[in-house]
Amino acid sequence: MAKIVVDPLTRIEGHLRIEVEVENGKVSDAHVIGTMYRGIEPMLRGRDPRDATYVTERVCGVCAGSHGWASSLALDQAFGAKVPSGGRLIRNLIIGAMWLHDHPLHFYHLSALDYIDIMAVAQYQGKDPGLLVVKDKIVKLVTAGDTAPLTPRYKPDEFSVNDPELVTMAVAHYIKALEMQAKAKKMSALFAGKQPHQSSIVVGGVTMLPTLETVERFRSMLLEQLEFVEKTYLPDVITFGTGPLLPLAQAGVGGGSLNYLSFGGFARDDEGKDLFLKAGIIMNGDLNNILPVDEAKIMEDVQYSWYKASANGKTPYLSETIPDLDKKDAYTFVKAPRYDGQPMEVGPLARMLVMKPKGLMDLITQYNIKPGAVARHAARAYETLLLAEEMLNWVDALEKEMGSNFRIHDTDHWEAPATGQGAGMTEAPRGSLGHFVKIGDHKIENYQMIVPTTWNFSPRDDKSVLGPLEQALIGVPVPDLDNPLNIVRVVRSYDPCLACAIHLINPVTNDIQKFQIGW
Amino acid sequence: MGNFDLLNAKGVSRRDFMKLVGATIAAFGLPGLFAPQAANAVEQALNKPPVIWLEGMDCTGCTESTIASLNPSAAELILDMISLRYHETIMAGSGNKSEEAYQDALKDKFILVVEGSIPSKEDRYCMVGGKPFRLTLIEAAQKAQAIIAVGSCASEGAGIPGACDTGAVGVSEILKAEGISTPLINLPCCPVKPTTLIGTLIYYLTYQKVPPLDTQNRPLAYYGTLLHDNCPRRGHFENGEYLTDWNDPLQKEYCLILKGCKGPKTYTDCAQVWWNDNANFCINAGSPCSGCSEKDFYQGFSPLYSKQESFKLPGIGHVNADTVGKTIGGAAAVGVGVHLVATAASGRLKKEDHKEDM
Repeated sequence: MAKIVVDPLTRIEGHLRIEVEVENGKVSDAHVIGTMYRGIEPMLRGRDPRDATYVTERVCGVCAGSHGWASSLALDQAFGAKVPSGGRLIRNLIIGAMWLHDHPLHFYHLSALDYIDIMAVAQYQGKDPGLLVVKDKIVKLVTAGDTAPLTPRYKPDEFSVNDPELVTMAVAHYIKALEMQAKAKKMSALFAGKQPHQSSIVVGGVTMLPTLETVERFRSMLLEQLEFVEKTYLPDVITFGTGPLLPLAQAGVGGGSLNYLSFGGFARDDEGKDLFLKAGIIMNGDLNNILPVDEAKIMEDVQYSWYKASANGKTPYLSETIPDLDKKDAYTFVKAPRYDGQPMEVGPLARMLVMKPKGLMDLITQYNIKPGAVARHAARAYETLLLAEEMLNWVDALEKEMGSNFRIHDTDHWEAPATGQGAGMTEAPRGSLGHFVKIGDHKIENYQMIVPTTWNFSPRDDKSVLGPLEQALIGVPVPDLDNPLNIVRVVRSYDPCLACAIHLINPVTNDIQKFQIGW
Repeated sequence: MGNFDLLNAKGVSRRDFMKLVGATIAAFGLPGLFAPQAANAVEQALNKPPVIWLEGMDCTGCTESTIASLNPSAAELILDMISLRYHETIMAGSGNKSEEAYQDALKDKFILVVEGSIPSKEDRYCMVGGKPFRLTLIEAAQKAQAIIAVGSCASEGAGIPGACDTGAVGVSEILKAEGISTPLINLPCCPVKPTTLIGTLIYYLTYQKVPPLDTQNRPLAYYGTLLHDNCPRRGHFENGEYLTDWNDPLQKEYCLILKGCKGPKTYTDCAQVWWNDNANFCINAGSPCSGCSEKDFYQGFSPLYSKQESFKLPGIGHVNADTVGKTIGGAAAVGVGVHLVATAASGRLKKEDHKEDM
């Protein structure tokens, strides 16, 4: 038996340490360890509730917008604010644009280097002028002896794509996608002020009253994004996933628990009843039985997290979070949320399995693809296409709203109420996201977030059931202990965000738990 | 020469690049640098300097902001302008491979970029590679030729983490505590503005010295002017026209001071150089400035959406902002137009017409 430690696990958001044990070439045990804590929620207590959208926005600069949005949804409820259609649509477009930045960035810039042997570019023999420039570039870097940040790296393995044509195309698209992610942020900023860390989403709606010209500018940038997703991103993922990576896809490497959770998100009506991304629960991979989400079934355990055991119970509203950095057996800053006692995977694969879009399901059936690392990439790419197409509808709807009585904000509910509480449950690129606020004396009494990577990267619970990623790592082949490529492939396929996951604890007080169930 | 091949791939000639650098420098008013000599000097100097980019208690927003640059593009930045030897979010290697890259880079004459704050109360709040981030930072800071702290978290005051109970501090506090004298440039803002970072890099590499800085170690070129003095809404401020309803097209361009704008306290070039390839900036989007470029951000500027406790209004000297707010609130209740009352508050009506104690 051999032990492998990967720390820092790079090309993710945040600081992550992975420890695995390998027996007979396969992972036999895994520990997923979050190693950073900031303490943002307890800091919010006692403040003007309106600050929460701005402050929590800054929990994460990669899924930028997501926390500000979830926070505004929680505050809207607590303030009794009714966001006008214009405000809802502009929020959707601000966030949607950031997803268009986020998903391709994850594939090309955070993940692709695990799947290609980038040095194969030097062998490119084709005549495409664009690809020849890429080849020339890489050759020059090699000649100059300075290939950072593309090296050093793990040695390419049996699954690494080394076809010069394919790799050169992938590198060209890596560069193209860098431009597209910047343009997507620019597009979001048209309504958002700036990106990352928009300022436009506030309780009650948004602050940016757009002109028709701005909306049309947004539309034309959206069409460029849509074309990129349709003609480059999704085809690349399909080419790789059904081509050189098909063995990984069919083996379901990194499959995990087969339990999936989606809160749903992106309201298509002002009541929030019709959601673009659907809510649902899948247990044990039973896709024919999509269950409704029941908030009361969410519990958080801290047996293996750096906190003292809770005296008040395990619902996220009641459980205690008294830190204990020296606690025996604890190994992470991430808590262990469970749904109905089970670890749950959240994210694009969960959402797409809940929604079962025909195009993706046909692909999965045709190629006999199993849930796992490759399936996650496919679900993410397919979801991007669905979203980009849906965003065009939102642009149309927004323009229809822009008549004489165009409203973007509920100004009557701008001041904080004396008391109130609200839950903002939605979807972030990485999965289900919940913000919960309680207001007393016009101030924040408690603030709580349950974020995607907390679900995916949770540690063991008190029944010693492993978290979703830990389960997904078990059985992953590691033929070469010095080059654990499959491990980082599986970890990155979840698109981890540790800054989101581990800001939750409060090392000084235990006041987060004062929420009551049922609101 | 020859570093900027990707520009050619995009159909941009070297001459275009020179124009771009020259324009960038001219726009930022960097002293003593003018195109076209500037572009030549820059290209000579930009011999792909090694860069180590460390992330502490961060959100990766400054990295995201940096790669949001379209001119130069992110690819040009990462592959052409600098040799990015260590950056956890971008680099190929993990674990021992990334450690190897870090150790190799330490041997070179590198520039250190720091994103995120550092916990001063408890090292275990931020561990990277099994080691306290604070110690890694100290090691790299001692060996770097210069340090650029990007974003509010790494700058003096530590931004939002600075308000939390981890004892989060910026790089300057660590350097002071450890007696490290490596030159430090702070580039606060939440996140760092890419134009500011790229311009600072260009200046430093061209002159091999830090640009003129203010007392918070910020380059005067970017942090030398008060936002309020350059605000496109300044005229409305002078007229006493304050936005109270985001839905009202008539108020769309009005001053945001009653929404909590910290522009009168904030030194930044946001009004002149917008974000995301000049797409927008907070105030143009109707959002009050939060003061994120100041060391008092966030703790000193909260609550963000309430009127400043005290600020100067034209014509009436020092005014308590609550008074203005109450006046406007009360006026709205009796149906008097916002503009009229705001005008009264600004002192353009006779003082005896305005009953509040100024």
